[in-house]
Order: sequence, then structure tokens, then C-alpha cells
Amino acid sequence: MSRTDPTIEVTRIGLLAWLLPGAGHYALGQRGLAKILFIAISAPYLFGALVGGVKESINPRANGWLFVAECGVGSYTFAGWMLASRLPSIAPPTPSPYSSYYPESDVAQIYLATAGMLNLLAILDAMARASSGGQALFAREAARKRAAAEARAATHAVPPAATGAAPPPNSGSAA
Amino acid sequence: MIGWLSAANLVAWAPFVNPLKLPPGTRLWLVLPLLLCVAIVYRVTRAQSAAGLVRPTLTTFLNILIGMVLIAAGAYAAHELVLRMA
Repeated sequence: MSRTDPTIEVTRIGLLAWLLPGAGHYALGQRGLAKILFIAISAPYLFGALVGGVKESINPRANGWLFVAECGVGSYTFAGWMLASRLPSIAPPTPSPYSSYYPESDVAQIYLATAGMLNLLAILDAMARASSGGQALFAREAARKRAAAEARAATHAVPPAATGAAPPPNSGSAA
Repeated sequence: MIGWLSAANLVAWAPFVNPLKLPPGTRLWLVLPLLLCVAIVYRVTRAQSAAGLVRPTLTTFLNILIGMVLIAAGAYAAHELVLRMA
């Protein structure tokens, strides 16, 4: 039985996480975290699209930088863009039923951009977990720092004999 | 009072196609659910499992909220100071 190339596996997990929030974690077997991520990223994205409407909110021609941020969630942005491109354009003097205005447009932009950026964080986390056998990136960092601190403490520790103090009677027993 | 929820608005409304009109005064409060989502995702990236996520998530939520309130208060104070000096 051949093992999957780690680079291909990490890329596959990253693509899954990009397509659907939490899908990368789900594929890694961390289903609890996947469900939480799905809700915590989908909810602000869908709320932003609901408040702003897709015509102006998910449209690279209307707001390019916002669209870049939204692209953190691949499938939602693609579906929203497809829907937006099917809606008719209305000349500026007439108020468009598809366009949101202040303050709704602000709320929609903030929610959509934040959701896109949050999924970027989730993608990176899923890829880091895929490359380390499911361990969180920050857990590895914390373990490395803890090991370094313990090594430093062991190096600087003065043995009891050097200070002339007698060791405690039960030192080394179960703590 | 509930003009934003008028029948005329709701009849012709299609989700994601027509924008949703928010009730007046809700804009500031909408920061709370967004902050909660940010806190959840941040904490999930540092967790090994879903168990025991509630407490650290709430702590992060409060930390961000208090930090943002302090930044807003500082910006408002600086704004007032500049206005009085001008």
C-alpha cells in the first residue's frame, strides 16, 4: 500500500478548507473542530451577504479589495459572484433594489471580509495540522518552548551537594 | 417604529438578492456576534479538540471587546482634545 505524498495531502487539505469552512479539519478527522469552524465562519459570511446583497457585496467590479478578502471562502464567494453576475445593473440616479447603502453596506463589508480572513486562518491551521499528523501548530510551538525552558532550567540548576544543603529525604519520589 | 419591517419591504424581498434593511441602532451591537466568531476561530486554531473550548473562547472574546472599547475611548478622547485645542 503506497503512502500519499505529504505535499499532496497538505495541498488537498488546504483546498478542502478553502472550498468549505471546516472541511479541512473534517478530512483530518477533527470533526468537532470542523463543525465549530463551519458555523463560526459561515454565519458571518452568510449574514454579510444577506445584509448587503450579492450584487454590490460579492462583485470584483464593485469592490475589488473586498472581493479579494471574500475569496478566503471559495465556494460561497463563487456562488455569490455567479448570482451577482445574473442580476441586472441599474443606472446610478435610480435607487437599485439590489444595492445596499449606508449603514447596511458597511456592516455587510465588515462581516464578509472578516469571514474570508477567518477562513484563511482556518486553512493555514488545517494545513499545519495535516503536515504534523493532526497536531495544532501552536501546540507544537508551545511544546518546543516548554522543552527549551526545561532544558535551560536543567542547565542552570545547581546540584544540592554544591550548595552544602542536604537533599530532602524523599526527593525523587512520586510527585 | 417598525417601519423597516414594513409589509412592502418583505413582500418583494429575496434573500441575498435584495439587501436586508437593519433596524435603526443595531449597527454598533453587531460587533458582538462578529467578535464571538473571531474569538471562536482563534481559539479553535490553538485547540487539540473541541472539549474545553468555551472558557478560553469567552476569555478571548472579553479581551478583544475590552481592548476595542479602550481603543475607541482613547480615540474619542484624542478627538475631543483636538477639538478643544483648535
